[in-house]
Amino acid sequence: MATPVVMPQMGESIAEGTIVRWIKKVGDAVDRDEPLFEISTDKVDAEIPSPVAGTLIDIAVKEGETVAVNSVVATIGAAGEKANEQGAAALADAAPANSPPPSGESQPQAAQGDGTPTKTVSNPSAATSAPAPAATEVKDDDQETAGSDDGRRQKSSPLVRRIAKEHGVDIRQITGTGISGRVTKHDILGYLDAPAAAREPSRAGSGEASPQRPDSRDGGTPPSAPTWSGGGDEVAPMSVMRKKIAEHMIVSRRTSAHVYSVFEVNYSKVDDIRKARRSDYEQRGVKLTFTSFIAKVAVDCLRRHKIINASIDGDNVVYRREINLGIAVALENGLIVPVVKRADDLNILGLSRSIADVADRARAKKLSPDEVHGGTFTITNPGNFGAQFGLPIINQPQVAILGVGAIEKRAVVIDDMIGIRLMGYLTLGYDHRLVDGAVADQFMADVKKGIETFDASQV
Amino acid sequence: MLANEYDVVVVGAGTGGYVAAIRAAQLGLKVAVVEKQKALGGTCLIWGCIPTKALLEHAHALKVAQSGKEWGLTGFDPAAVRIDMPAVHARKDKMITGLTGGIEMLFKKNKIDWIKGSARLTGGKAVEVTLHDGGKQVLTATKEVIVATGSAPRSVPGIEPDRKKIMFSDEAIHLGEVPKTMAIMGSGAVGVEFASIFKSFGSEVTVIELLPRLVPGEDEAVSAELEKTFKRKGIKSLTGTKVTSAKAGAKGVDLELASTDQKTQKMTVDVLLVATGRGPVTDGLGAEAVGLKMDRGYIVVDQQFRTSVAGISAIGDVITMGGPHYQLAHVSSMEGVVLAERIAGHTVTPINYDHVPRCTYCDPEIGSVGFTEAQAREKGYDVRVGVFPFKALARARMAGETDGFVKIVADKKYDEVLGVHIIGPRATELIAEAVLALRLECTVEELVKTIHAHPTMSEAVGEASHAAHGAAIHM
Repeated sequence: MATPVVMPQMGESIAEGTIVRWIKKVGDAVDRDEPLFEISTDKVDAEIPSPVAGTLIDIAVKEGETVAVNSVVATIGAAGEKANEQGAAALADAAPANSPPPSGESQPQAAQGDGTPTKTVSNPSAATSAPAPAATEVKDDDQETAGSDDGRRQKSSPLVRRIAKEHGVDIRQITGTGISGRVTKHDILGYLDAPAAAREPSRAGSGEASPQRPDSRDGGTPPSAPTWSGGGDEVAPMSVMRKKIAEHMIVSRRTSAHVYSVFEVNYSKVDDIRKARRSDYEQRGVKLTFTSFIAKVAVDCLRRHKIINASIDGDNVVYRREINLGIAVALENGLIVPVVKRADDLNILGLSRSIADVADRARAKKLSPDEVHGGTFTITNPGNFGAQFGLPIINQPQVAILGVGAIEKRAVVIDDMIGIRLMGYLTLGYDHRLVDGAVADQFMADVKKGIETFDASQV
Repeated sequence: MLANEYDVVVVGAGTGGYVAAIRAAQLGLKVAVVEKQKALGGTCLIWGCIPTKALLEHAHALKVAQSGKEWGLTGFDPAAVRIDMPAVHARKDKMITGLTGGIEMLFKKNKIDWIKGSARLTGGKAVEVTLHDGGKQVLTATKEVIVATGSAPRSVPGIEPDRKKIMFSDEAIHLGEVPKTMAIMGSGAVGVEFASIFKSFGSEVTVIELLPRLVPGEDEAVSAELEKTFKRKGIKSLTGTKVTSAKAGAKGVDLELASTDQKTQKMTVDVLLVATGRGPVTDGLGAEAVGLKMDRGYIVVDQQFRTSVAGISAIGDVITMGGPHYQLAHVSSMEGVVLAERIAGHTVTPINYDHVPRCTYCDPEIGSVGFTEAQAREKGYDVRVGVFPFKALARARMAGETDGFVKIVADKKYDEVLGVHIIGPRATELIAEAVLALRLECTVEELVKTIHAHPTMSEAVGEASHAAHGAAIHM
């Protein structure tokens, strides 16, 4: 009995996925729940387990190919069954076994039912560029599936495509006013008529921060400057994660008016507390890090400075009820931002434990899709690698991001004397559309003070 | 809901009103329609589109029979074949009864109440109906009143129809016998259709047009082609000519004509058909009394069909959006659909009136959409044109209908299809493809790459698109 394996739906808004790697080959025996292949979607990477035990008899979708959710990607036959040439035939066989109505669409869902494939995931979104939670109903990378000249299938007319080609315009950049958002002649002519300078803000303005507006016009791989290729150059396709990072970076830069404030912070007190309590915490299985303290102080300050923990939605400001702290985690080939939900409910023990937990699981590709959503503020740590400070890009649709620079001993002037203290720079990247310099600096002054005068009884 | 309270009250059951009513009912609204005529369907079903096209089918049958020899029909004398008007009217009337009855069935199915009487707006969303069977009934609309009272034929100053010898299409459609001679004032759709019908039936027909060419709204090439075929069929065209006087007497109608170059002439005909246009019907409606903004008798509406009075909308022949408005059944119907959807709370986009198909059922038929070549040039397009004549088309030769052509007007720069003008067999059907092409913003390339079935008349559209790109295959 053959069982079709389908591209699982990794989240409500995800329409397709890319097969990154087949872990099993045709002819291999697989156990139920044994990893079969790796996928990468708009939001998450995941290893997909086999829905049943048996033999992999057909692979219908090759590595690197992108298919719609619920498309059949492979067929598992009974143990010892020979490889099947036709996945479709196998699917037909499988239909009665999987009961429900014999329509093509329902079969894959039935197969998914016993598969429970959504187990281990991670987020390809870059630390500083994760997409807006609501901005992910995007069918990116259509160019991979459709392979058409038009790039992604933004609805348009033949005439519009002709005009776009002539003017080198990316139709995805244009808001369609026709039926179902179709870009009409009127739309593209209006776009072309608008002064080039005026186009940018109109794109960004209504874009990423607004939940009703998925970044349909900004999706896909951003256009890049013309390049050249030398003889010995190695050319490799971008991974899905890389493309997403690239895309989200550009989107964020286009959306927010990035401004930075850098504060120097004395970590000496925190270091004392850390040293004093480290072993206690280790006994409880938690590592007390500088990040724990910075996160705790940042969360406390966010509660007092609500505008930093906010978003822009069209003409409205959304002040977030929850403080969901995104922690940027560097991966081998990218970045992800797992989120510690309701970080303000946690004491420093809980916060430390949560941060360590999501970071570990991020590196092990074992996050659930929920855990990469809904962040309201992000901390990133370029200092890990020695940077004095970084200028991080805001994680849309948030309005600020805290960059932690290297913490090291420095000679500082204290009461007109030079002393050695544990110092580090903190950078706040903020969106000047919403956050003014004075507000950002008050927040940062608060953070600095919180760290420098940390109450040891809290730990 | 009270007995006389509805969501929507529609005044007029023509193609605008009845379609609006059905669409509104489909969307869950409770609807009443006020109609004073004995049947539903309005001008289109009772005096307009349907009966005239029925007569055209008779004319076509007659044409085939009269050329029976060519078609290899035997057993009768083709030269002796005549039209039997009572039989024609019987068939036509039976068909119309069937169609208007069909609308009644649709009303019942959609639980729409037909209030038989004459409506008057009384302010707010109330309509007072003077019932045919006595008494008055006041209907109120909780959402909207739709005025769809339509239009009626209209003469020009100085020409007073007696509706016996100087008549409108309303009377011409019921002519019990074929007049020996007929003059037609106006060469718009109505004028040239009746010219074709009565010429076929055996009348001697003269079309008098004030402007320099027949069907002046169409592309110039179409006008020229029609005039040429009319001439061959024996229909006389007097363009650039004004009727200065028309007097009905015992012998018929005495006409005095003056051409633009000041030459005058006189003629006497059995009947004069006045086909100079249609005007709005608002008699007794009380439109001004409730404060509706009017313009030359038409009700002024915006693109969502709102009048100047909240709660009252209007569609169809009776409206103006600030200029001439298409008086076509299919335009009214679409307006009815869009308005009903808007009233039901849907978001609707305004109708693009540049994409309205214009169909004239003369012989040969005319179907057109979009800009004429002249209009396109006037708008500054770098125009290119593709033409394909029906005489080069196999299917047209089979039908023995080789007059006419398909003409595509395109923009050279972006290859956009700007207009399609068809005169010839099934032109009114063939235009559908062009309407879709314009609606979807097609390029000529799309038409070129669209497979047209063989052998069909529609191949002419594909060939014309080839011609616009350089050369037709079969030319």
